[in-house]
Amino acid sequence: MDAQLLLSGIIFGLSIGSIFFLMAIGLSLCFGLMRVISLDQLLYYSIGGYLTYTVSVGTGSVWLGVLAGLVVAGITAFAVERFVFRRIYDRDVAFSMITTFGILIGGVGVIKAIWGLVPRPVAMPAGDQVDILGTFVPGYRLIVIVVAILVYVAIWLFLNRTIVGKAIRAGIEDVDHVEGLGINVYRLFTITFIIAGTLSGLAGGLHAPLIMVDPSMGLEVIALVFMVVIIGGLGSIKGTAVSALLVGQVMSLGSLIYAPLAQMAPFAIMLLILLIKPTGLYGSPLLKR
Amino acid sequence: MSPGVNLLEAQKLNVSYGEARVLFDVDFRIDDREIVACVGRNGAGKTTLLRTIAGFVKPVSGTVTADGTSLVGLPAYAIARRGVKYVPQDKKVFADLTVRENLELGSYATKDYDWDQVTGYFPKLKVLMDRKAGHLSGGERQMLMIGRAILGKPRVLLVDEPTEGLAPGIVDQLKEVFRDLSGKTALAIVEQNLPLVCAISTRIYAMKEGRIVAELPGAGATTPVECEQYV
Repeated sequence: MDAQLLLSGIIFGLSIGSIFFLMAIGLSLCFGLMRVISLDQLLYYSIGGYLTYTVSVGTGSVWLGVLAGLVVAGITAFAVERFVFRRIYDRDVAFSMITTFGILIGGVGVIKAIWGLVPRPVAMPAGDQVDILGTFVPGYRLIVIVVAILVYVAIWLFLNRTIVGKAIRAGIEDVDHVEGLGINVYRLFTITFIIAGTLSGLAGGLHAPLIMVDPSMGLEVIALVFMVVIIGGLGSIKGTAVSALLVGQVMSLGSLIYAPLAQMAPFAIMLLILLIKPTGLYGSPLLKR
Repeated sequence: MSPGVNLLEAQKLNVSYGEARVLFDVDFRIDDREIVACVGRNGAGKTTLLRTIAGFVKPVSGTVTADGTSLVGLPAYAIARRGVKYVPQDKKVFADLTVRENLELGSYATKDYDWDQVTGYFPKLKVLMDRKAGHLSGGERQMLMIGRAILGKPRVLLVDEPTEGLAPGIVDQLKEVFRDLSGKTALAIVEQNLPLVCAISTRIYAMKEGRIVAELPGAGATTPVECEQYV
C-alpha cells in the first residue's frame, strides 16, 4: 500500500470518525445521565442534513445551512424532551427505546412529506484539495475533523470546568445523589438533551456534503453510531472519542485492504473488545436503576 | 415532652413496592433540636421510611409535612431545597469528582459557599480537597457525604446507617458531630449500632416488618438491651 493512499485513507477515516463522534456523544450522555436510549438523535441528524440542503440551496452557503440545521435540531430535541421524555424517565430503558424509535420513524415520515423521497445532493464547500506531505486530501474533510476536535475540547471544558457540567458528571455516577443535594436534575436532563440534539444536528449538517441527504439517512448510520457508543463505554466522552477514531480507521483502512471489510470490520472489532471488556473501553459498570 | 417545635411529621404513611407493602400506617415525628433514631432489623422498612420522607419513594397514602406544608408529591430536589436532606447508606460519593467538586455541588444546590462548618467538623477533608473522592476511605467518604449535605444549613438531616462498616475512632467522631449538629439541624438516624443510638438520641423508634412497634425515650433512659427487645 503506498503512502499516499494510506494518508488519504487515514484522513477519510478521521472525517467519518468525527461525524460518528459528534452523534455518539449525545447518545452516550443521554444514556449515562438519564438511562434512556435516544434513538431520536438520528432524527436530529437527518434534520441537520436536510436543513443544510435547503438553506444551502436557498442562500448558497453550506455553513449557514449547517448552522440552521443544528439550531433547528436543538429546538426539536428540546420540544421532544419536554413533551415526551419528561413522561417516560421513570420507565424501563426498553420503553425509551420503543418510544424514541416511534419518534424517529414518525419524523422520517414528516421529512418524506416535506422533502420527498428523492436523495438530494449538497454542494461541497471548501472543495479545494489540500496538500499534506505530497498527498492531496479534500479540505472539507479536514474542516470536519477540526470541528470535531473543537467540540471535544468544548464538551471537555463544559463537563470539567463548569458547575453544571460537574453536576452532569456526578449524575452519570448517581443521579439520585445529585437530586438529594437539592439540584434540579430535570433541568440537567433538559440541558443534556439539547446538547445531544444540537450535536446530532451538527453531525447531519457536516455529513450532508459528503453523502446525499435522503429520508433514511439516520437509519443508515444507526448501527455504526451505536457501535461507537458501545465500544467507547456508555457515559464516557473520552471513550466515545477513542472509539469513533477506531471505528473510522477500521472502516477506512479496512476497505483499502479488502473492500467488504469497511462494513464488516467494525463489528469484528466490537465483538473483540466486548469479549475482553464488556463495559467498553472506558465504560464503568453502569447499572440499571 | 419535646425540646422544641415540631419540624417534620409523617402520618399514616403507607408504602408499597409494586404488590409488596413495606410500610404500614407509620407515624413519625422529628422536633427541633432532636436526634431521632430509628432501629430495626434489615428489611424492617427504615430506609424506605427515610427515602419516602425525602421524596425518592412515593407513598400510597399518608402525609408528610414540614413546617405545616405537605412534602408528598414534591420531587426529591425540591424537598432537599426545603431543608430536608437525605444521606444514603451506600457511601457513594461522586467517585470521579474531587472532594472539592463534591462540596461545590452541595454549594451549587444550596447557594451556601461557606465551608467553614464542614471543615470544622471534618478537618481531614481540608487536606483531601483535591483528591478524587473515589480514592477516599469509607470513613472519609462518610465525612464528605455528611459535609456536602450540611451545606445550606438544612433543617432536618435524614442519615441512613452512618456508622456501618466504619472504624471505632470515626464512629466516635461522628457521634460528636451529630451531637453538635443537632443544635442547628434536627437529625433522624437509621442505625444498627444500639449503644450509639441509646447514647445520642432523644427518642428512639423501633420498627418491625414495616410498622413502628415502639417509641422509646432516648438520652440514656433506654439501655441497648431494652432496645434490643423491640427489634
